[in-house]
Amino acid sequence: MALTRRQFLGMTGGSATAAVLFAACGVPEKELLVQAPFEMPEDLVSGRDAWYATLCRQCATSEGVVIRVMEGRAKKVEGNIDYPLNQGRHSARCEAGLQALYNPDRIRGPLLRAGERGSSQFEEISWTDALGRLTFQLEELQRRRAQKSMVLITNPVGGHLGMVAERFVERFRGRFMPYESIERTNLRAAIKQVFGQDRMPDFDIERANFILSFGADFLNTWVSPVRYARGFGEFRQGDRPRGTMVHVDSRFSMTGANADDRIFVKPGMEGILALSIAHVLIKDGLADTAAAEALTGGDTLEEFAPEAIAQKIGVAAEKVSGLAHAFAGGRPAIALGGGSAAAHTNGLFNLTAIYSLNYLVGSVGQEGGIVFNPASPLDDIPSVPAVTAFGEWQELANDMRSGDVGVMMVRGADPFYGLPASLGFREASYDVPFIFSFSNFMDDTTAMADLVLPEHNYLEDWGSDSPDPGPGYELVGFQQPVVRPFFESRGEHLGTRGFADVLLAIAGELDLELDLPGETFKDILQAGALKLFELKRGSVRAGDFRAFWNGVLQRGGWWDVSARSTGPAATPPKLPQAEEPRFDPVSADRFDFHLVPFSSVGISEGQGAHLPWMQATPDPITTATWLTWVEINLKVAERLELREGDVVRLSSTRGSIDVLAYPHPGVPPDVLAIPMGQGHVAGGRYAEGRGANVLSILATLTDEKTGALAWAATRVRLEKLDRWVRLPKFENSGADLPEDDEQLVLQVTRDDT
Amino acid sequence: MAESWGMVIDLDKCIGCQACVVACQSENNIPINEEARFNERRAIEWIRVERYWEGEFPDAKARFIPILCQHCADAPCEPVCPVYATYHNDEGLNVQVYNRCIGTRFCANGCPYQVRFFNFWEPEWPESLKNQLNPDVTVRSRGIMEKCTFCIQRIRRTGRDAAQANGDVTDEEFQRTLNPACVNACPTQTLEFGDLLDVLTPLREGTRLPKEPKSRAGAKIKKELESEGGIGVREPGGRGYRLLEDLGTNPSVIYLRKVEPKVEQTTGHD
Amino acid sequence: MIPGDFQYRKPSGKKIILIAATGIGGVAGLVVTALIVTYVISAWIGRPVIFGFDDGPEQPIAFPHTTHVEQLGLDCTFCHRTVAEEPVATIPAVGLCMTCHLVVGDGNPEVEKLRDYFAAGESIDWVRVHRVPDHVHFVHEAHIRFFTAADPAKFPMASAVCSTCHGDVGSMERVRQVRSLKMSDCVDCHRDNGAPTDCTTCHY
Repeated sequence: MALTRRQFLGMTGGSATAAVLFAACGVPEKELLVQAPFEMPEDLVSGRDAWYATLCRQCATSEGVVIRVMEGRAKKVEGNIDYPLNQGRHSARCEAGLQALYNPDRIRGPLLRAGERGSSQFEEISWTDALGRLTFQLEELQRRRAQKSMVLITNPVGGHLGMVAERFVERFRGRFMPYESIERTNLRAAIKQVFGQDRMPDFDIERANFILSFGADFLNTWVSPVRYARGFGEFRQGDRPRGTMVHVDSRFSMTGANADDRIFVKPGMEGILALSIAHVLIKDGLADTAAAEALTGGDTLEEFAPEAIAQKIGVAAEKVSGLAHAFAGGRPAIALGGGSAAAHTNGLFNLTAIYSLNYLVGSVGQEGGIVFNPASPLDDIPSVPAVTAFGEWQELANDMRSGDVGVMMVRGADPFYGLPASLGFREASYDVPFIFSFSNFMDDTTAMADLVLPEHNYLEDWGSDSPDPGPGYELVGFQQPVVRPFFESRGEHLGTRGFADVLLAIAGELDLELDLPGETFKDILQAGALKLFELKRGSVRAGDFRAFWNGVLQRGGWWDVSARSTGPAATPPKLPQAEEPRFDPVSADRFDFHLVPFSSVGISEGQGAHLPWMQATPDPITTATWLTWVEINLKVAERLELREGDVVRLSSTRGSIDVLAYPHPGVPPDVLAIPMGQGHVAGGRYAEGRGANVLSILATLTDEKTGALAWAATRVRLEKLDRWVRLPKFENSGADLPEDDEQLVLQVTRDDT
Repeated sequence: MAESWGMVIDLDKCIGCQACVVACQSENNIPINEEARFNERRAIEWIRVERYWEGEFPDAKARFIPILCQHCADAPCEPVCPVYATYHNDEGLNVQVYNRCIGTRFCANGCPYQVRFFNFWEPEWPESLKNQLNPDVTVRSRGIMEKCTFCIQRIRRTGRDAAQANGDVTDEEFQRTLNPACVNACPTQTLEFGDLLDVLTPLREGTRLPKEPKSRAGAKIKKELESEGGIGVREPGGRGYRLLEDLGTNPSVIYLRKVEPKVEQTTGHD
Repeated sequence: MIPGDFQYRKPSGKKIILIAATGIGGVAGLVVTALIVTYVISAWIGRPVIFGFDDGPEQPIAFPHTTHVEQLGLDCTFCHRTVAEEPVATIPAVGLCMTCHLVVGDGNPEVEKLRDYFAAGESIDWVRVHRVPDHVHFVHEAHIRFFTAADPAKFPMASAVCSTCHGDVGSMERVRQVRSLKMSDCVDCHRDNGAPTDCTTCHY
């Protein structure tokens, strides 16, 4: 019976009910067709998948990833097994790159502001128009000899994009200010001071036996978490005896949860604790004598004896000496620090003291310890991405207020979101005549822009990276487009364009001589690859450059395992002068809690808030999602009669935010830990108007030696409001504190493992 | 039996980073868990990382355990389905057939691990996000039960690749394409997947483990277990155990216990 | 019956409610039954869309397999290239047709249509003849592999297998569906040939 669905519908009289039912249950129109494409190149065959190697550029440390592409659409992200840093592993955030590529709120073409600044009213214009406007403003600056008033703000860019951006700003004679909300200024300065290295070292976690970490959430979000986690797996249950990890922190972090022991120290006292450990090591003869001599000049650091400082740092004396013994007895041992340990007014001191401990246990430049990274084989790309310390941002805000900033160009950074509100950056920006954004998202900064020139998503773009920290040998990663740009330029209006190519186009219009090894960004990259080809060594060997270039793109980069650093620093520098942290406000009278913000696993410091998978990723410890909560010690919460979900107002001297209380078994009583990343004013449907931005109420204290923002130095007071909001969590009930009577955890002594 | 797919999860390595969770969501077209879903306790995560507390500050401990469908040999969810939409196939997988499911939710009722998820609402994606959906995995509509499948689409695809190459799906060269998304994602390599036929069968029948299990995952179990042949919580030296062993579900996922040095061994503190 | 005997009595409140409820319930029950019956019948008859069964649907270009297969002797896999390696057989790209039709077929209106598509850079939306629902993962390659391995004499090459399910396409002016391609069709053939009948062979 050849009855079509349409005929049957006709027979039922086309009743409205039937129509509704069938419309809901029928076959979608497009499935009744099968398309013969215009061309079918072999990588676009239906049903066949192709895997392309590229770099994930969502965080500062790019993982090597391979992307599964089917019929020209990116379907899955997996780690690139060859790429030395992550070796096939990847983080939750790497997966969400696909949601950035296909996000419904992406900007699809250049936009011109059509209403008041900050009102997010834009109209679409053509690229010719947009580039023309931007070029005109820069020409005006040139004409008025006011090039210094151009500021280019980017994320810390390395690789060839860093080369292009830095060269552009240098030749234009403007200012280059790379921005990261949680800056690594103190970390880099400490590495330089202690090891004499510009580049961050690698930590040989796989072969270490003891890791002592201060404040650095290195398994979660700090610096290169996938590489460290990969090493950690080996460290725990690899071929060697099981290693021990102790984590010192002022809050209960995810890395702390995975540590064999947690030590809670008063905020900012990490450096003094490190000096105390050094004292015990030296006094008990556990330290390398030569190193000890160089570090202390013979001083036994008596004033840092555990008994003397126990009260000040909040750690019992026996604990400190036990820790020192375990650290020295567990060689090879690594001491590393960062995160909240660096985020104080004495951050540089803290980190230098911590990293100096490595000399005392002889792990500098050794297997299982601190492994230095060689310089990049390409000398024309920045060996270390530049960053700007917070002090310079304060200066910039002043310059803005006095009208000394004529053009602000922003790419890959969200300073309007990440800078503390009391800096007055948003207010000062009204004195900047022209703000241009290259973001492909309407984030907080782009909402304040006058002109948006959206760039490609990283999966649609070229690039390279000289990772910092590297894997202990030379590595240059290459990024290639795995799909055509989602918003392709079809005609004048639509489309996104690569940031580097836009800069090159503008430079061309302005007649700026950039002296770059290529006309387009891809040419510049190929010139870089040509240099690597001519080295005639490394992971990719080929007879001609064409084959070499293909080989590099196939593997995701070029590396040479035999090209290592030439050696450790000559002598350990003297230990720094001890410094105690300062807080804002100074007295804890009415502001009785330390505010310790932390990076979220999914949305980091806010960069992932527009990605629904990341919003829905449960925080490892609380399993909370989508909103902002504050972790309060259980007993303190009881005392204040706070339940989970009670809305509380946290006020610093600079502002206040409303967040949801989360009574937490692990956090110290005088600390409030809050995840960063929510509280966006703009950013699309997934990011807007949810949670609170903890970065906005931070006090603007800095470490005076480096200018770095002391983002863990704010004190707040807590006020219970009369509202309750259910905290979206994955787990059901609240903190349940059972005993392990089924012995599901194996308790061992040192000799067992 | 063709194969018996199973997993080994080393709890001493799991750091709780949620990479497995998101990898699974990406691979299997899992609906986006909006805020409302969490509030309704209806968020769908085929693999989840549970966090267990012990103690309070300053001695609080938090431990992580990834939990996914255990693919039990004696699964309580299988006999109760009125339409036979879930059953145990000859590869050792607990299989969910979406087009048969009529949504009685009896299976989820019986699962002691709570790894079955029901689509209470029609999953929706904004149009552009649909470009990311995996064509190898059926998109489930409202009223259908879903759960971890050990990425059966990968098992099938690798099986075909292996057949075309005249090899075997369990060959080492295919391991990376065979592995479920979660196994490939995990930074610490907590999860191992493989054919545990030579390990699970002795386990279930109570006989001795073979000299050298075929798969890497099996060898891992063998290395951990003493050769009593049994996996039990109190077996001396052995770290292997299965969740809720006493219920007799016979899971295909074996966990290796987390190791915790007694505190005095780390910092001399009593 | 004596006229006048009947005394009309207004039903009591309770009775009214009972009658009303029965009435409404009955009507509702009827409506619901009618809807369910309509739905079930339509669901059975309506899906999958079996519109390929008569003479085959009309296509945007009247491509004759007879000319290309019977007269020219082209093998199935010349156009449907990936059938022996991939799950999908694929309809050939416009570019493939043009390798010949750039020069062949002047004056033929259908070829002119093809050339118009090519000149405009457009893909051709053919009307689908063979369709399985999207909860079915049908893999062409596995079937080709099975048959060519099982009976090399009868199936010396990939294209010998195609007619098993698609019929003698070479003799069709317009492609039409010859087998029902409902699940019973698939499962019967699987049973007869010793292929797996596990649900997850196709449904996952």
